[in-house]
Amino acid sequence: MSNIYDSSARTNYFKELTTNLWDQRDLISLLVKRDLAVRYKRSVLGLLWTLINPLLTSLILWMVFVHIFKARLADGSQFAPYVLAGVLLMTFFNQAFMQASESIASGMGILQKVYVRPHVFAFAAAISNSVNFILGLFALVVVTIMVGEGISLFAPLTVLVILCMLSLTIGLSLMTSILFIRFNDSKNIIVLILQLLFYLTPVFYPKDILNETVRLIVSLNPLSSYLDIFRFVFASTGKATLFDWVYMFSTSTIVLLLGLTIFKRSWSKTVVMM
Amino acid sequence: MTNPVIEVQNVDLEYVIRHGRATSLKEAAISAMKGINLDITVSALTDISFTVERGEVLAIIGHNGAGKSSLLKLIARVLPPTSGVVKVSGSVAPMLELGAGFNTELSGEENILLFGVLLGNRTTAMRAKVGEIAEWAGLTEQIKLPLRTYSTGMVARLGFAVAAFQRSDVLIVDEILGVGDAEFREKSKARMKDLIAGGEATILVSHDLNTVESLATKVLWLDHGKQVMLGGTMEVLDAYRKA
Repeated sequence: MSNIYDSSARTNYFKELTTNLWDQRDLISLLVKRDLAVRYKRSVLGLLWTLINPLLTSLILWMVFVHIFKARLADGSQFAPYVLAGVLLMTFFNQAFMQASESIASGMGILQKVYVRPHVFAFAAAISNSVNFILGLFALVVVTIMVGEGISLFAPLTVLVILCMLSLTIGLSLMTSILFIRFNDSKNIIVLILQLLFYLTPVFYPKDILNETVRLIVSLNPLSSYLDIFRFVFASTGKATLFDWVYMFSTSTIVLLLGLTIFKRSWSKTVVMM
Repeated sequence: MTNPVIEVQNVDLEYVIRHGRATSLKEAAISAMKGINLDITVSALTDISFTVERGEVLAIIGHNGAGKSSLLKLIARVLPPTSGVVKVSGSVAPMLELGAGFNTELSGEENILLFGVLLGNRTTAMRAKVGEIAEWAGLTEQIKLPLRTYSTGMVARLGFAVAAFQRSDVLIVDEILGVGDAEFREKSKARMKDLIAGGEATILVSHDLNTVESLATKVLWLDHGKQVMLGGTMEVLDAYRKA
């Protein structure tokens, strides 16, 4: 017999999960396509619509900081691509994280009827947001060239930032999805934390305007490292230190493993509660 | 000696019911600080044991809340048992009311694809089957329309059709023979008999004792999560009717 289910069997969780995700690749790709189709079909402007939000946010931040606060970057590079890069990466983080967290809660109807690993919903939600991010990169290329700067030769390394971001957001969302299912007010608290994180990441300010203490706090925020690396590899803006690289790879790996472990422990308790 | 297709040994299932008020983090934090535990543990199933051999059709009967659906969920791997062992050899097709899990914004066709793939099929295999499934459910004309334009009966028919076109070793049927009009019911009953004949083993839940009598080879009678009787169809049904 091909597949035998034994509820008492002790299996290697991570190995089983990897096999399972591979077996479910059709499901994941179908969920991603569905997600993208729903998003782009519903608006008249389609694809452009998803870019309008980060572009407008960047435009506002750019006007406020360049024309009102007269902000300048230390190395003399332009502010517009700097802000847009920050907004795009933070949008990726926020939306991948929130949608992956919600995907498991909203998939409960299916999960209570059909045996499928809940993880696939989180993976699919995060992946579909990485597609949005990649589309946003085209806008970033346009803006960068418009202000007279160039794209770095290392731009393809952005794929590493994307992979780490996927791993980070999936790991985090596995932890919060349990909260989302159990407590209906947990979303408000998470939204507040995300807002705080946005200000603690150098999205619209250069790190060197901060005093020592604040700069340390901002540097300890892992997202700062992701953003520094992204800006550096994409358009050679600012610099990415060895610490940034180590911090990015380690946080993404640790958070994913932690998320999987916590999820494994709480899921069977949660699904029985429904 | 061959192993049974389904083996359930001394299975208990406990549900934790969250007290109405503890659905928010704020309340949960307050009650945690006060040391109040608002969770109530309820025993849904106690000490259930049975086996289903190759070719057998087991019917589970009992009143509402007897634990029939919980037991099906254990076998479908949706819920893990609190204690005891559940063993199933082969692929499991749950014929639960799939219609309830459908996405109303997607078209009938997209829902067929999604659920077919959820049940373990490849996308290409499902794409080839969409037309056949739609035709069987009598929905060929509407299949490209979003599900929110369908009537309740149409959604139920689609749900049955998706499940009925799934080839699996173990079939789990939860009260879905009552879907649609008389004509469709006859059609689905015939299809069900085909599936039962083609599969390894079947577990069936129904309130309709006539259905049980015509399909089952043995019956498990549950009451309030406890196993009252397990035996031949007529033997258990007679006892059940007298009770």
